[in-house]
Amino acid sequence: METLRQLLVSREISELSRVTHLLDEPEQLAAAVGDILPSAAARAPHAQLGEALAPAVERAVQRSIQKSPRTLTDILYPVFLPAIRKSIGEKIDQTFQSLNETLRHIFTWHGLKWRFESWRTGASFSEVVLKHSLVYRIEHAFLIHRNSGLLIAHVTADNATSEDPQLISSMLSAIQDFVKDSFNEKEQSGLDTIRFGDLRLWSEVGPFATLVSVIRGNPPEGLHEIVRDVLLRIHEESSQALEQFDGDGSQLASVEAQLQTCVELKQEESNEGFPWLVAVVALLLLSLAGGWYFLSWQSAQRWQAYVSRWQAYVSRLEAQPGIIVAEQQARDGQFYIAGLRDPLAADPQSLLSGTEVDPAQVHSQWQFYQSLEPEFVLKRLKASLAPPDSVRLSIDNERIVAEGEAPDTWIDRARAAARQLSAGGPEFDISKVRDVSPEVLEAKRWQAYVSRLEAQPGIIVAQQKIRDGQFYIAGLRDPLADDPQSLLSGTQVDPARVHSQWQFYQSLEPEFVLKRLTASLYPPDTVRLSIVNDRIIAEGEAPDTWIDRARAAARQLSAGGPEFDISKVRDVSPEARAAEHWQYYVSRLEAQPGIVVAQQSARGGHFYISGLRDPLAADPQALLSGTEVDPARVHSQWQFYQSLDPKFVVKRLTASLTPPKSVRLSIIQGRIVVVGEAPAAWINRAQAAAEQLSADGVVLDVSQLRELDLAELNHLREAIQTTDIFFSSGKVVPGPEQTPVLDRLADQIKEFAQSARKSGVTARFMLTGHSDTTGRETANASISAARAETVRALLKKRGVAPELLLVRGAGTFEPAVPENSQAGSSTNRRVSVTVNLD
Amino acid sequence: MLQKKICMLGGFSVGKTSLVRRFVKSIFSETYLTTVGVKIDKKSVALPDKTVDLILWDLAGEDDIGSFRVSHVRGATGLVLVVDGTRAATLTAALTLRERVEAEFGAMPFVLLFNKSDLADRWVIPDREIDELRQRGWQVYLTSALSGEHVDDAFLKLASMVTK
Ligand SMILES: Nc1nc2c(ncn2[C@@H]2O[C@H](COP(=O)(O)OP(=O)(O)O)[C@@H](O)[C@H]2O)c(=O)[nH]1
Ligand SMILES: [Mg+2]
Repeated sequence: METLRQLLVSREISELSRVTHLLDEPEQLAAAVGDILPSAAARAPHAQLGEALAPAVERAVQRSIQKSPRTLTDILYPVFLPAIRKSIGEKIDQTFQSLNETLRHIFTWHGLKWRFESWRTGASFSEVVLKHSLVYRIEHAFLIHRNSGLLIAHVTADNATSEDPQLISSMLSAIQDFVKDSFNEKEQSGLDTIRFGDLRLWSEVGPFATLVSVIRGNPPEGLHEIVRDVLLRIHEESSQALEQFDGDGSQLASVEAQLQTCVELKQEESNEGFPWLVAVVALLLLSLAGGWYFLSWQSAQRWQAYVSRWQAYVSRLEAQPGIIVAEQQARDGQFYIAGLRDPLAADPQSLLSGTEVDPAQVHSQWQFYQSLEPEFVLKRLKASLAPPDSVRLSIDNERIVAEGEAPDTWIDRARAAARQLSAGGPEFDISKVRDVSPEVLEAKRWQAYVSRLEAQPGIIVAQQKIRDGQFYIAGLRDPLADDPQSLLSGTQVDPARVHSQWQFYQSLEPEFVLKRLTASLYPPDTVRLSIVNDRIIAEGEAPDTWIDRARAAARQLSAGGPEFDISKVRDVSPEARAAEHWQYYVSRLEAQPGIVVAQQSARGGHFYISGLRDPLAADPQALLSGTEVDPARVHSQWQFYQSLDPKFVVKRLTASLTPPKSVRLSIIQGRIVVVGEAPAAWINRAQAAAEQLSADGVVLDVSQLRELDLAELNHLREAIQTTDIFFSSGKVVPGPEQTPVLDRLADQIKEFAQSARKSGVTARFMLTGHSDTTGRETANASISAARAETVRALLKKRGVAPELLLVRGAGTFEPAVPENSQAGSSTNRRVSVTVNLD
Repeated sequence: MLQKKICMLGGFSVGKTSLVRRFVKSIFSETYLTTVGVKIDKKSVALPDKTVDLILWDLAGEDDIGSFRVSHVRGATGLVLVVDGTRAATLTAALTLRERVEAEFGAMPFVLLFNKSDLADRWVIPDREIDELRQRGWQVYLTSALSGEHVDDAFLKLASMVTK
């Protein structure tokens, strides 16, 4: 059995004993567990592991602190320090603020009420005070996801508005990043306060979310705590949702309710006045404390030190202007002082402060007196005379000087004061104060107005006066002069108190006469009136009717008025003007080449003109346009003639000789010079023309003409002229064997014509038809002409311009060979070609 | 309320601000860009099954990518990478920025915009290169902030990608 067992499970038994051994040996067990512990811990569910480990870790930490607090402090130091610093700062702020508030409220009626409230609610008194006394309101609360800056929730107080909260949320977190980056702020806390005038942004930073509250007014520091609590509660309630927030706020709906408690925080204005009671009590406390302080001080310090301080105080008093120390004494730890002081001098009591002399030991007797030192007199004068802003009082060399402007009543009072002072006091000089009493001012203004009127042309002031505050003025005024009434504006004279009597008259001052003339004569635009040296001068052009009226006006004025000179106005009555235009037209005609004016006259509004004109000259009728002469009233008689003016001769020659392109005609010093190349025929014609013209005294110089060089053409011409087209007996159409001859001939003619044209010459080709002597003479004549026509048609068909081809029939009269053989007659049946150039 | 933070990334003057301006009417002045270095705009985008508020962070572009504040991208769920199609170097810039962001915050959805498509005559990005990027499965758009071409499409696509 045992053997069997050994056989079956011996392996398991040895394994089991190895494990038992392992468990029994702590050393080995530790080694084994140590191997797997890290990975086991990593695999354990986090919550359970945390729970399991927590007590042990806590105990370990406790033990560590008991053993050596330093170690843990060192570890946590960087974490705690910023937190502590912040917390202490806030605590101090908080204490101050609540102390202030408490002081303000201890002794008021509300104070009692709040004491009761604090007792009832169990809150500290300062908390209750805080709640009631600071004026502020949280208008918005934003809960912002720390990681992404996205808005988790936003709550608004009633009536508060803002831009899109989502955007604000992101922007705030961007700004926080910005500040952190910009100032290298490494702390976790971030930006916790931003202020814009009345608005504050407070942000409380939590692990996953930041709570930003927008507060209007003055929040108490303690509010931080309250807001922080809200943030804490939000984190407690929804920490998982916050951590996993990915922009979807639906999981965090409950947060809004928490935020709502934030925006409900506010404190309205209270109507409490200044806490007088507090001030009095505080003073009381202060003086008690002061007394106690002095007693303890006295016992500790030497009397002598006091006396020397006292002496310093006394000499300080003596140096004060307006204070005269009569007596002073230090006796039995008390100080006595008596003397005179000006009420305007420094207060001896207040001079004590800073001297370390105890006011309680000082017994003073001061008699008031009026100091005559200039500065005190000045102060008193300022108080008693109340000088207007326009007067400045100052001290100059122990004298008091008044400068500026004042009404006479003030000057009288100042004068009285000056008299009083003269009995021993400093001199008071008021001579530099100008009298600006209303009447004087008004009179000055009135005078300014009157002299303004007097300076006006066309206004003559006869009389003016001021009586009982009213102003009277009388005189003459031209209707064209400025209105005296409107001149009042800007003078500060009251129009209601001005009584004027103006008589109209016509001023003879040139400018008024000018105005009147302009109005009555109504000069045309072409006349300009101006004043030169008191004379009125008219210049320009006008019709005679206007000149007559102007002359009459000038006569009238001569009886005392300024001179009116119209001698510079030209008479431009319509006839005169028309005559001027006509004369202009005639002179224009006379200047024309090829036009000779023989006679012209203007009569009864009509114009007559006669003379010679070259057909090539400008048309006299056309020249009328633009001259303002009425063509209907012009009667012309022109005789044609050939002008010998070289220009016209050139025109005529150009028309009659048709010079080739290679020839240029020009006029040089009255002579016509022909230059260039031309065919001999053309040169001959030009020479003939020159001879003719010389009889009329016109020089046509053809000496510079050269004969056109037709050398290269001559060859072609020769070829053309030696070509004949042959015909069978009695036929007028050449046989097919003539086709190549015709083709070549056509090409040659075309080439020749083109070359000739290039040289400015026209080539013409005469086609002459011939017949043999067989048959009747009349039939032969018509056959020869028909042959020439046929060739013309055939050449035309080959592209030769037909107008270059002339045709004629020569019948039997121009045989090529004597007609005595068969061959002779076949040679004579032909069409020959000759070339003419012209 | 569903919101997603989106960052505009790209080199200097590629048109990020112009694209945002084309897509949404701003309430913040653009001086924020120069002062705070970032300007934020919001646009509600209606998708077939929901509406999402895109919170667009436009970062002040500087030529030097080194000065880019990667911390602004924290918490973002999507990126708009912008390239100026007339300057080849801006493609490298955009891709480098994306790498930096991914190294810091892990991969996130993005669309790649080749902007200024209206400047066809100065275009320097070959079609082949764009095809290749598309073959990687990337969402690539040729946009113009000037004409508005494909701007809405690109933002809409990104909106649906970040809400998946
Ligand atoms: N033609 C054209 N110009 C653009 C386009 N987008 C931006 N710009 C211009 O490019 C310049 C830089 O644009 P901006 O939006 O400030 O670029 P950012 O630095 O990336 O924000 C500006 O002058 C824009 O007018 C576009 O699609 N087409
Ligand atoms: Mg920009």
